[in-house]
Amino acid sequence: MKFTRSSTYKAISSALWESNPISKQIMGICSALAVTVQIKTALVMALALTFVVAFANLSISLMRNRIPRNIRIIVEVSVIATLVIVADEFLKAFMYDISKQLSVFVGLIITNCIVMGRAETFAMSNPPGPSFIDGIANGIGYGSILLGVAFFRELLGAGKLMGFQVIPRSFYQAGYENMGLMVLAPGAFIMIGLFVWLEHTLLKD
Amino acid sequence: MSDALKSFSFAIILGIVCSLLLTTAATGLKKYQLRNIRIDRQKNILKAVRLLDEKKTYTADDIETLFTKNMRVLFVDHTGRIIQPDNRKPGDLPIWLYGEEDTVKAYVVPVDTNGLWGKIRGYLAFEADGVTVRGFTVFKHSETPGLGGEIEKRWFQKNFVGKKIVNAAGKFVSIGIAKGAVKNNIPREKRENYVDGISGATMTGKFLSAGLKDILRNYEPVAIKFRRQQCGKVTLCQ
Repeated sequence: MKFTRSSTYKAISSALWESNPISKQIMGICSALAVTVQIKTALVMALALTFVVAFANLSISLMRNRIPRNIRIIVEVSVIATLVIVADEFLKAFMYDISKQLSVFVGLIITNCIVMGRAETFAMSNPPGPSFIDGIANGIGYGSILLGVAFFRELLGAGKLMGFQVIPRSFYQAGYENMGLMVLAPGAFIMIGLFVWLEHTLLKD
Repeated sequence: MSDALKSFSFAIILGIVCSLLLTTAATGLKKYQLRNIRIDRQKNILKAVRLLDEKKTYTADDIETLFTKNMRVLFVDHTGRIIQPDNRKPGDLPIWLYGEEDTVKAYVVPVDTNGLWGKIRGYLAFEADGVTVRGFTVFKHSETPGLGGEIEKRWFQKNFVGKKIVNAAGKFVSIGIAKGAVKNNIPREKRENYVDGISGATMTGKFLSAGLKDILRNYEPVAIKFRRQQCGKVTLCQ
């Protein structure tokens, strides 16, 4: 079987493109606005979310036949909350500076509708393997937009990429100025809007 | 088993499993987290006395060596006497000295005060003249990001550098956060005692001004000794 026809490929490509959680389903916008000032924070946030969605999907899928229907949402939330706190503790232990910058937003992954949405719509009705892959795929889909937005925000807002100065000093001497708007939340809003517009336009054809 | 009982037992088992996981993660990682917190505090103290180059990045070990080489923690009692850590009594206030025993270049006091939504914690460093602010940092706060949260930003903290806590007559007045820019809102003779405020964060400014005043009043006895140049040599202050 060709890789492009495998279910893994389909899951990833759909989460990346046709049903991207941010630009197509417009979910998880809050954190996408908050943590995309720099590529570094966006990357760590994307990894944390991918970890949470993947393992939440996996564990919920493993329990799916035993979870009593009437308390399933509570069960999903407990699993997700546990994973989020574990991820947060890890960041505090090994990436303290970044965890300080991400502040409440790692904790807020609990309320990110991508995680709940995947657990409820996919993991509850699919076996563990595909659920895990679905989680990773959605994490990548979320991360791709985050990194895209962060790339432009850091480049235009601070003239840097990954913390390294990329716009040469001579530009500044010639009168170039960083775009202050990009550092603020409205800059992210406009950037995400442009991404949504681009994707919808391209998908229409 | 009835449905309700099933749901209950499932919920209880899940609860136990989740709490076990959380406990393991929290206790297992505590050692690393505490070290990070300690390094972060040391980094902020060094930042307050402006020993760190803003453009450079420092590893945890760099910070620790710089800190142990330059800073010493001591305590002051209510009369302003400087006390060795071993002889401290309850109620004595911590103070960090930068420099050698007989040539103190700066001192740092901890800031721990109420903000609008929670505690604001940081450090305020003074020159050895006991009057001029050398630097200010915040390492923990819960103010609104973008508004009161700006207190953690460099532009706000930079405003403190060179400001004075006494007025022209040499009387203690603390340092206040102005409403808006200092040069538009504060009369000329008081400008040395105010820093620019943050627009949209009047309340944070008020809380911080009041908190700094309380803290600096407690440290005033030792500040007076520095002003009289008695503490340039620590031995004279003891």
